[in-house]
Amino acid sequence: MESIIRVDGLAKHFSVRKHYKGRFAPLKNFFTREASTVKAVDDLNFEINPGELVGYLGPNGAGKSTTLKMLTGLLVPSHGEVRVSGFNPWKERKAYVRHIGAVFGQRTTLWWDLPVVESLELLKYVYHIPEARFRENLSHFIDLLELSPFLGTPVRALSLGQRMRADLCAALLHDPRLLFLDEPTIGLDVVAKERIRDFIKYLNQERKTTVILTTHDLADVQKLCQRIMIIDQGKLLFDGGLERLQERFGGKRQLIVDFAEHYPDVHVAQAQLKDYQNRRAIYEFDRRELSASELIGQVSSQFQIQDLTVREPDIEATIRNIYEKQLLKVPET
Amino acid sequence: MRLFFELAARSFRRTLTYRIATLAGLITNIFFGLIRSSVLVALFGQQSEVSGYTVTSIITYTGLSQALIAYLMLFGWYDLMDGVHTGEISTQLLKPLSLFRYWLAHDLGRAIAHLFLRGVSIMLIYELMFDLTYPKDLGHWLALLVSLFFAWWLSMVWRFLVNLAAFWSPNAQGFGRLLFFAANFFSGFMMPLGLFPDWLQTLCYLTPFPYMINVVIEIYLNIITGSELFFLLGLQLVWILGLSLISQFILTMGIRKLAIAGG
Ligand SMILES: Nc1ncnc2c1ncn2[C@@H]1O[C@H](COP(=O)(O)OP(=O)(O)O)[C@@H](O)[C@H]1O
Ligand SMILES: [Mg+2]
Repeated sequence: MESIIRVDGLAKHFSVRKHYKGRFAPLKNFFTREASTVKAVDDLNFEINPGELVGYLGPNGAGKSTTLKMLTGLLVPSHGEVRVSGFNPWKERKAYVRHIGAVFGQRTTLWWDLPVVESLELLKYVYHIPEARFRENLSHFIDLLELSPFLGTPVRALSLGQRMRADLCAALLHDPRLLFLDEPTIGLDVVAKERIRDFIKYLNQERKTTVILTTHDLADVQKLCQRIMIIDQGKLLFDGGLERLQERFGGKRQLIVDFAEHYPDVHVAQAQLKDYQNRRAIYEFDRRELSASELIGQVSSQFQIQDLTVREPDIEATIRNIYEKQLLKVPET
Repeated sequence: MRLFFELAARSFRRTLTYRIATLAGLITNIFFGLIRSSVLVALFGQQSEVSGYTVTSIITYTGLSQALIAYLMLFGWYDLMDGVHTGEISTQLLKPLSLFRYWLAHDLGRAIAHLFLRGVSIMLIYELMFDLTYPKDLGHWLALLVSLFFAWWLSMVWRFLVNLAAFWSPNAQGFGRLLFFAANFFSGFMMPLGLFPDWLQTLCYLTPFPYMINVVIEIYLNIITGSELFFLLGLQLVWILGLSLISQFILTMGIRKLAIAGG
């Protein structure tokens, strides 16, 4: 398949002026032009295929937003190449932006003082959307995002979640094939997050929209993303499926067993018994050493089991683990 | 074109939503109009005419110049600057829009709303209180309308140009305040240019500023007539086109600067 996004050796270096502190600081700041370089993004290489839904993760300041700004044509790369849908986003910005949708976190594209619907209607003229297509998309998105209760409300009176839903609608009325979302769920409550996730899932599955989203909420990743890219200090540290991430860096899995009767000793050979109380035992095991079915087989050959569950390691813990222990120092290929 | 109209219409409606601000602005404009007219009338003393201005026309002048404040945003406009400094501008750059035409349409809607809410209304209130001068015939009324429109257009392009400083400086607002203040002096807003010494008038007319205010007012007061009128309307247009070209060029550089330095 022809990739929709291609990134080769992409880098963005910001030059930041040094600011002195102290007694003569204003004078020094005025007369010196010393600058230091921040490598916000450093040598990124990846491709994304049409229809993918990619989660772009990394701690604060990792370079996520900077990457998205280069992909959307807002920033000129310092080095390297970006091609999206056949465009060079920066050089051909005006032609290019017609084909993409983008929502950058807290920043709204809607008119602050006017009813939501007025901003949405305007987009018909901005993108020259045919009337019929526009009506169809609008009514569809109004349903899916449940916008009707506040279509007539001025944007400044909306809650954060309502505004984000309206902004998502606004980013999609022109049927973009590609959607960039920078922290779409930040600051939202659980219900609002869930609504937005469902909508993103719908776009990706039903409309085959390619989606790239950055987030701090790993529930977003778990529910949505087939592919994860992790970036830190401007470098891509991991690129692959959730499963592979868990396999490599995940903590241990747990098997929780409720026995039919009380046994004085429930130890088994390959798993570690973490806890045993009231006929409930918790075993921990490493997926690289033992499969869940093997362990269940072992336990059930020795004891009567009433009920059991396998608990996967928490992805949040996995990722925290990666950042904290710096498990991913060298970019992997 | 349709987009331009839809943008302007929204901006017009948006301006209408600020009812309290409009009323407060109106009262302030009238209050200072009265102060200015009484000062100028006192300066006239016993004279019935100074440099072509009569007491009636000087009072009309104060009304007109106050009526133009909101229409032309004479005390400054910083929306584009704010957009650059907050990064809000990126939402516009992500749309297939010309930033220049976007703001032009936006300001046109606002200006039309203000022309009535804080322009015509001031002149009506003045009419109730004073004897005023009016354009002498239909031709002058038409010329007035054209020059009013050109004055807005020129002022918008000028304000846009000043705002572009934001791409290069985080302190652009102070710079803007200075420029807007200077413009009000050279434009004939503070004093009719006709009352300035000749050399200063000549100097003023080397800038675009008299074409935003003084020309409009002198057409209204029938001071500019005949072929001079067409000549001055033409010069308004020349300034509009010239500053538009410069603005577009600097805007392109500014966007490039922003995209390199980061928003
Ligand atoms: N315009 C800019 N000027 C200087 N430094 C910047 C600019 N934008 C971002 N940075 C720096 O680049 C790094 C990456 O920022 P960003 O891409 O916003 O990270 P993230 O979105 O992953 O939190 C940070 O260290 C940030 O301070
Ligand atoms: Mg960010």
